[in-house]
Amino acid sequence: MTSDAVTVCTWGGQLGDAEEAFTLARKVSGSWGVDLKWLVLGSLPEQAIGIAGRYGVAEIDHIADAALDKFQPDVHVEALAQYCAQSTPKAVLFNQTYEARLVAPRLAGRLGCAVAMNAMDLEVGGEGQLCVTASAYGGDTRVVYELIGAPVIAALSANAIVPEPLDGASASPTLCEIRVDLSRVVERIRIVTPARGQSGARLEDAQVIVAGGRGLGEARNFRLVQELAEALGGMAGASRPIVDDGWVDSSRQVGLTGKITRPALYIAAGISGASQHMVGCAAAKTIVAINRDPDAAVFRYARYGIVGDCLTIIPELIRAAKAR
Amino acid sequence: MRIVVCAKEVLDPDAVNNYALVGKLEIGADGKTLTQAAIPRLMNAYDEQAIEAALRLRDAGVTCTIAVVSVGRNATDILRHAAALGADEVACVAADASALDAHGTACLLAAYVRQSGGADLVLCGRQASDDDQGVVPPLIGERLGMPVVTIARTVELVQSSDGRAVRVTRVTPDGDEVVEVRCPAVITISNELGAPRYPTAARRMAARRVQPKAVSADELAVLPEDLQPRVKLARQFVPQVQGKCEILSGSTPAEVADRLMARLRAESVI
Repeated sequence: MTSDAVTVCTWGGQLGDAEEAFTLARKVSGSWGVDLKWLVLGSLPEQAIGIAGRYGVAEIDHIADAALDKFQPDVHVEALAQYCAQSTPKAVLFNQTYEARLVAPRLAGRLGCAVAMNAMDLEVGGEGQLCVTASAYGGDTRVVYELIGAPVIAALSANAIVPEPLDGASASPTLCEIRVDLSRVVERIRIVTPARGQSGARLEDAQVIVAGGRGLGEARNFRLVQELAEALGGMAGASRPIVDDGWVDSSRQVGLTGKITRPALYIAAGISGASQHMVGCAAAKTIVAINRDPDAAVFRYARYGIVGDCLTIIPELIRAAKAR
Repeated sequence: MRIVVCAKEVLDPDAVNNYALVGKLEIGADGKTLTQAAIPRLMNAYDEQAIEAALRLRDAGVTCTIAVVSVGRNATDILRHAAALGADEVACVAADASALDAHGTACLLAAYVRQSGGADLVLCGRQASDDDQGVVPPLIGERLGMPVVTIARTVELVQSSDGRAVRVTRVTPDGDEVVEVRCPAVITISNELGAPRYPTAARRMAARRVQPKAVSADELAVLPEDLQPRVKLARQFVPQVQGKCEILSGSTPAEVADRLMARLRAESVI
């Protein structure tokens, strides 16, 4: 087991956008001339070895402790802290899932080390320091942070990254079983009612998203957005104001404090285009904006724009989408 | 019980956004800070909602002292706003906030909590609307050895078999989750809590005379080396937005709709 690696960490038996993370992590491990490792907490995803090979992971470190099979923040932070003490990575990277938003800074607090969230790009600076480009001001600006010391921790905004497998032949990663002692950790947070879980598809994976905002006028008009999404084989999304107003569930929210998506097609209907919203869809291949206000910010991001009332345009789009 | 709410002064994010939208957002000669002197400074909106969460606990009948603390050189305005909203104590830990990283800020805030009589609950906004990092609350939790519950929609006090606890409804991508945690704990509040109250004119008038308690790092027994940043802001820039929007038009909504669908099909987008 070599130390000084760049280590990407996932859990929950899923890949969790690991390919995106490996793509950025490999850039850093290459610059530093160190190994790229993948730390898996809990059950090992089936395809792990194959994917690790394609993305140049030298070693999969696996902690199989049963306490890690379901997400428990105290247990996960302790496991990571013990891993870092044993294995002394140079950088620990997470995909910025909801859970990692808590785990990454808590680990940094436990280890007293540098941490940066919302990372869109990573680079190694002239003095060997990790430079993290992150979004700030709800996407209006980008900041570059220099992280000092070791290990350093960064959480990656995965949908900002396009996965790039290795050019040549796959590597064959070694699998190391790592032991940590979690017997003394008492989880302090008790789940009374679990989240009901996502039913079916994830907004983050949708190829087509039709999102609605205040321009819909009132809550019942959101069904138009849903109908158009269905007609295009996609999913319905929403801007934060109509989630705050209770028109739709927050699981539909696209943007800085909601989902970061990267569909092929994003139709923004009655959405003004505040940066905080656009952060959640700016990576879409094609953005279509429908808004009454020709000066609405959303048109700056869009490939196609329609200036008009979305309540008269969406029904026509539903008809046109169905007529094929 | 004692509730400490941590509040940060930020540039008004809506004003920043408005400058960005008209392409007038600029970074100064230092390569790090926004040049717009006209952008108002105000309390981070999520922190205001954290104060609202504390006030709702009081409204629900919880006997509590609410202290609001900020770190900076001059947080008087936002702390007076906190007093107008109903904070019992307001304090400012004097420090050059731009020279601190999240660890330094968390170190000062945790030291304040300890020195000012502890806390049964530390409430913070889920993130600050300037850097969007959201790491200070978990760092405070680690420093104080408190559990951290993030992104709360509601917070209520419950009596558990082993003492005082809070029940928190968290907003997760999989829907709401309800958790319980024993006090003391750090809770971060999200916008789903709802709009904070607006202070009455009388309260605002009275708050004008409030002088926030000034606390120094020395008084908190925080050493300069504890505040050495591990994260340094190297630069800040305004990303380019590729604005090549083609506006589609037609004599009727139907015509425009057909035109758009034809384009999307021709480009194999759908």
